[in-house]
Amino acid sequence: MTRYQLAVLLFSGLCLQSISTAQTMTIWAGVYSSEQAARGEIIYNTACIACHGKDLGGNSNSPGLAGMGFMFLWEGRTLGTFFEKIQENMPTDRPGKLPAQDYVDVVSYIMQANAFPNGDNELPKDLDALNDIAITARP
Amino acid sequence: MIIRTAKHLGYPVKRVHAIFFMLTCLLSASFSVAQIEDFTYVTDQMLSNPPKGEWLSWRGTPAAWGFSPLDQINNENVDQLQLKWSFALDNTGAIQAAPLIHDGVMFIPSARGVIQALDAVTGDLHWEYRPAPPTEEFINSGAGNRAAVLPADAFAGVGRGVQKNIALYGEMIYASTETASIRAIDARSGLLVWETQVADPTLGYFYTAGPIIANGTLITGINGCDRYKDDVCFITGHDPETGEEKWRTSTVARPEDPGGDTWGDLPLRFRAGSDAWIAGSYDPHANLIYWGTAQAKPWARVVRGTDGDALYTNSTLALNPDNGEMLWYFQHIPGETLDMDEVFENILIDIDGRKSLFKMGKLGILWQLDRQTGEFIKATDIGYQNIVNLDPITGQITYRDGMIPRIGEELSMCPSTSGVKSWRAMAYSPKTSAMYIPITLNCELATFGPTERELGGGGAGPVRRINFHHPQSDGNLGEILALEIPSGEVKWRYRSRAPFNTAALTTAGGLVFAGDWNRTMSALDADNGELLWQVRLATSNQGFPISYSVNGKQYIAMPVGTGGASWSGSLPRELAPELSRPRSGSSIYVFALPD
Repeated sequence: MTRYQLAVLLFSGLCLQSISTAQTMTIWAGVYSSEQAARGEIIYNTACIACHGKDLGGNSNSPGLAGMGFMFLWEGRTLGTFFEKIQENMPTDRPGKLPAQDYVDVVSYIMQANAFPNGDNELPKDLDALNDIAITARP
Repeated sequence: MIIRTAKHLGYPVKRVHAIFFMLTCLLSASFSVAQIEDFTYVTDQMLSNPPKGEWLSWRGTPAAWGFSPLDQINNENVDQLQLKWSFALDNTGAIQAAPLIHDGVMFIPSARGVIQALDAVTGDLHWEYRPAPPTEEFINSGAGNRAAVLPADAFAGVGRGVQKNIALYGEMIYASTETASIRAIDARSGLLVWETQVADPTLGYFYTAGPIIANGTLITGINGCDRYKDDVCFITGHDPETGEEKWRTSTVARPEDPGGDTWGDLPLRFRAGSDAWIAGSYDPHANLIYWGTAQAKPWARVVRGTDGDALYTNSTLALNPDNGEMLWYFQHIPGETLDMDEVFENILIDIDGRKSLFKMGKLGILWQLDRQTGEFIKATDIGYQNIVNLDPITGQITYRDGMIPRIGEELSMCPSTSGVKSWRAMAYSPKTSAMYIPITLNCELATFGPTERELGGGGAGPVRRINFHHPQSDGNLGEILALEIPSGEVKWRYRSRAPFNTAALTTAGGLVFAGDWNRTMSALDADNGELLWQVRLATSNQGFPISYSVNGKQYIAMPVGTGGASWSGSLPRELAPELSRPRSGSSIYVFALPD
């Protein structure tokens, strides 16, 4: 095996490892902190609660954000997709007008409401990083 | 100051709620600049036959035509209309106001329970009723759960807090609240007289439609019936003097009731929906009220666990206003399964010798029923839906192949769940014998999902949706459709890029008024649909335009505002992204000819 072939092999291996890592990062890995979810709850109670309800159950005009309804709507997609959706469309009267940190804090609160485990680190507001976190059924 | 202690009669209320209501009474504020001195007692006779220049019921009269007999403003001079006054409404919630006019005063319901009395000529404030914001104790009790009670300084555009209409009777204004109570407010002073809890908001109950008066009874229809609970949706009749509940009629057939088997073997707690979220109409000669009910919940049959008809969902009910007895019902879409609501306004017209009732739901089918018997007369599909087949002889609905959803399987449906028609009430003109209908054009790829079948669960059910333009729309989202009555033939169509976002108003001046999401208020020639006048207002036109006269001068009033159903904002954003509107600016605008 030449050095070139070896380098290609090693690089390919790193890439595969990277992809594999990205694919295995899920909402079940403790990707937000409880402090962040607490901040998100305050924002939710100001900007989201009137339509989606205090229990995040939604109503005829607003989808539920917890339980079976949430998983039906979002399983198989990434937190980045979810983040983008609410950032582009919510709150309905002023879509996109909250700071990005507020949106990601609300995402963490919704994760907490769905009993996805928390961890030591906060959920980042970086879209690429959020796109690396898959919404999957409980392993 | 006239404040009687709020009391609840006939329904168990948790102690925390009782505390809340007492606090509400004590803390609610009436800001009075000038008490209304010249106020004529409003009688049943006046409600049935209002003075020509007054607007005493949410659609003008109990027959709900949305028609003004005034003709000073007409198709010859409407282009001279001028702004006479405007008044900013609260931006603390959704606005879909239906103002009333009596003795030269405009009474207007604003967001989150606020009601204002304005001089109808100048816009000067007579008084303002403002309920107290909920206490921390109330919110923390859990009563705010699902009722989503917010402080009064919450931001604009929230989906709750709508009070579409109020009622006027005697010397009182009657309102229903987002926390499932009804209120009587002194029409002269704006002071709260009584407040009665009708249902438990912790179960999700709330009101968006206001009450009506029929034969001396105050009648309201509840909303928020989508969650599973050991109770079902209902309409109630009350004593207007005290708020005492006189009767309660379920809008869902209970297991032991006639029709109870139309829900299969589902127990009571899993019989959800049938919300009565639009105010009814009243025929004083027959002494019957007509009230619509919403679709069953969860929306999809497969999710709610029965393919039965689910009485009395998606029906028109004829009730005796004195005791709530159901004289007849007509179910428009048995076993509805795609969120195609039929709850909307009931327009009572005597035509071709038939005492008729006309209505249209989300599918865009104009129904004509005999309002004395409930017998089907005629149905006209305006041709924008791809969901059902309609038998024009019997009125029977059958779903087209593939249009009964299965969990996780996408289907393509027109209209989307926004409906061809929604709360934006159509108006009838006896001058042209035509119905003028605010239409929304769009379709949807929809995939229905499951919900938790447990107490507190249920709801409408999740839907993955992708909106797209209706193939017949040429990119337009809005239309005013004029249909000749009773033939159902198209008289004309007027289209706009933005959805029409108000009820229609017809006048004896040969005009149709309506407003759109894109801030534009329009006056059309009722005969041919020609655009005669337009004006841009502060934000989306939203609510129920009216016409009235004071001292011989005719006025046109248009409410504008935001909030309400989420799709009212999301549809234009997705399908007409070049349009935008301010998030605030809720107001009432009043126009008249130059002095």
